[in-house]
Amino acid sequence: MSAAAAEPRREDPTARLVRRLVPDASVVRLFVLAVLVLIVFSVASPDFLTLINFQSMGLQVTEVGLLSLAIMVSMLTGGIDLSIISIANVAALVTAQLFAHHGGADAGSQQMGLYVVVGIAAGTACGLLNGVLIAKLRITPILATLGTMQLFNGLAIAWTGGKAIYGMPDSFLNIGNGYVGDVPIPVLILLGGAVLTAIFINRTGRGLRIQLLGANEVAAKYSGLRNERVLFVTYLASAFLASLAGIVIAARSASASADYGASYLLLAIVIVVLGGVNPLGGFGTVTGVVLAAFTLQMVNTGFNQVGFNAFLYQVAQGVILIGALGLSQLSERYGWASRLARAMPWRARGEPGVPEPPGALGPQLRTPGESHREEDVRGRPV
Amino acid sequence: MSAAASTLRAIPLGRLRGQNNEGILALTIIVLAIVVGIADSSFWRLSTLLNIATSTLDNIVFAMGVLIVIISGGIDVSFMAIGIFAGYAVIVVTNNTGFGADIALVGFALAATIGLGLGMLNALAIAGLRLPTLIATLGTQGIIRGVLLAYVGSKVIPNYPPGLNDLSTSYLLTAHAPSGDTRLSVLILPAIVICVLISLMLRYTMVGRGIFAIGGDAESARRAGFPVVRIQVFIYGLVGVLAGIAGMMHVTQVRLANPYELVGGELDVIAAVVLGGASIFGGKGSVIGTVLGVVLISLIRNSLILLGVPGTWQRAAVGAMLIIGVTAQALGSSARRRPTGGVAMEATT
Repeated sequence: MSAAAAEPRREDPTARLVRRLVPDASVVRLFVLAVLVLIVFSVASPDFLTLINFQSMGLQVTEVGLLSLAIMVSMLTGGIDLSIISIANVAALVTAQLFAHHGGADAGSQQMGLYVVVGIAAGTACGLLNGVLIAKLRITPILATLGTMQLFNGLAIAWTGGKAIYGMPDSFLNIGNGYVGDVPIPVLILLGGAVLTAIFINRTGRGLRIQLLGANEVAAKYSGLRNERVLFVTYLASAFLASLAGIVIAARSASASADYGASYLLLAIVIVVLGGVNPLGGFGTVTGVVLAAFTLQMVNTGFNQVGFNAFLYQVAQGVILIGALGLSQLSERYGWASRLARAMPWRARGEPGVPEPPGALGPQLRTPGESHREEDVRGRPV
Repeated sequence: MSAAASTLRAIPLGRLRGQNNEGILALTIIVLAIVVGIADSSFWRLSTLLNIATSTLDNIVFAMGVLIVIISGGIDVSFMAIGIFAGYAVIVVTNNTGFGADIALVGFALAATIGLGLGMLNALAIAGLRLPTLIATLGTQGIIRGVLLAYVGSKVIPNYPPGLNDLSTSYLLTAHAPSGDTRLSVLILPAIVICVLISLMLRYTMVGRGIFAIGGDAESARRAGFPVVRIQVFIYGLVGVLAGIAGMMHVTQVRLANPYELVGGELDVIAAVVLGGASIFGGKGSVIGTVLGVVLISLIRNSLILLGVPGTWQRAAVGAMLIIGVTAQALGSSARRRPTGGVAMEATT
């Protein structure tokens, strides 16, 4: 906030809001995609553009939305956290077990608050192990979290014997199914998580260090960043968001089990990458991720209402992912991106160099010469 | 990168350790076998060996494909989808048309062809659109599985064409035990042949060396004259073929074609390959290490039951083993500078 106020150039507040929310071309493309999806299904199904439908989509999108934010945080450093589903289930199980053994369905609101906090703390504590493995022992994130994913999941199975835990009070279930006015409470939780993540990434020193580390690790090191500590915080934040998702999962499904939501992992990665987060690190926007989550949810619900085979949604996920990134790849190769960027005056203003879409990656995960990665961080109004 | 690999080799850690920690893996397997054998003497039976061989042979063929991709510096999460697509589609096609119903080999050829076609989908996205391998295969995984379940079929098929039916009950060896007979499927033979062929290809052919070169540094490989795009197309085509064959093996062995199977188990195979010493950064890995990695994970699963550990602890044990394995690898090669953030930057420095 203070950075914007200190800016000498006076700016229209709406323009400023737009610039904040729409920081680059990939978000614009995504927004266009979302609107297209909305229009197509509104025409195809009379039930689509209704309050009830949007409420039910809101209830469904929260879990995977929060998990996507968790992946996004780790992906900003160029890593990935595959253990988020296991962590979410650990948080859900700890809370559910507390309810089951102390208080049951009659637990008071104070107890409930305590149990939720303990659940989230337990999940976040799982992030500690990820942090130790990745930051201290320098294990590649994808391998470390592949191991911890199995470990946390395995411990949860061993703890519960693979059975689901039931018996939570209505006040807790309300978190996952209730409404404030017309807005489902999970949606508020998702938006709260998104705003928190956005502030964390863009407005705190730690968040900016995470982005710098992902943009150029060597430069980050030579600028005096303690990369170890930054990575540690990254995986704690990721585990925290996953735990939040776990609480919502427990409240919405009125149960907790070690094996819930295994299919969410790949979906969350699809959402994050579709949302314009650079898998190599250094760039990503919360707006993009939330928009991508809602877009895919609309596709899912729309397919159901139109009466498509449920499995076609999987095909659609894949086609959207490859199509969207392939398009940005081709547009970069043929220079459409710069034209699009020129059409975004709030972005191009006073900045040298045109931002390239984050989908502009090489054939390998390790292609050299990603000059745009530095540019993305430099070009961002800090 | 290859220079780094050779300095690693020069470190005097004993030649028995092997280039990719194969020695350590083999030692772990032997120690584990002795410990379990002391705890429960019934472990020392032929049936245990046959059990492990039979339960791992399709995973070993899947792992060969994953190994090639990982050596080339990529990652593939679509191979299980390709495998079950090919295996299930062959059963559907032969049952419906009677084409090649009497000869199992036709089924396998068909599965390999389907696998090749689906692998080309990956090649198109990776070499054509230049998408990162994880993203591309994530997308094709969804497409392949969705098409399979939406269009090819979503029912479990118990009746097989005669050719595949005969093959599924053809055994090389039978171990008699009071608790029941354990048999070794003849499918172990093609699995061994595939391992040998992949090993020879990686070591002695130009394209094999090219795969290592791309994994070391794609740009350097290009400048050294390797046709990077063509090698990538070859890699993902071959992985598709291997996945198709492995899927067919799996479907043949379980004698119940279930289109919901396999997908979701990708990370377990990747874990086995990495445990087998392949570097996720590319440029490093071996067939022997991969086989040992798959066997070790299977051995852990088998021996836990014999040791009296409840089945619910299996997953935790495998996870802990994986963490210990990758930690040992990371510490072992700490002489080499490693990027902390992710898979990206080593090539640029």
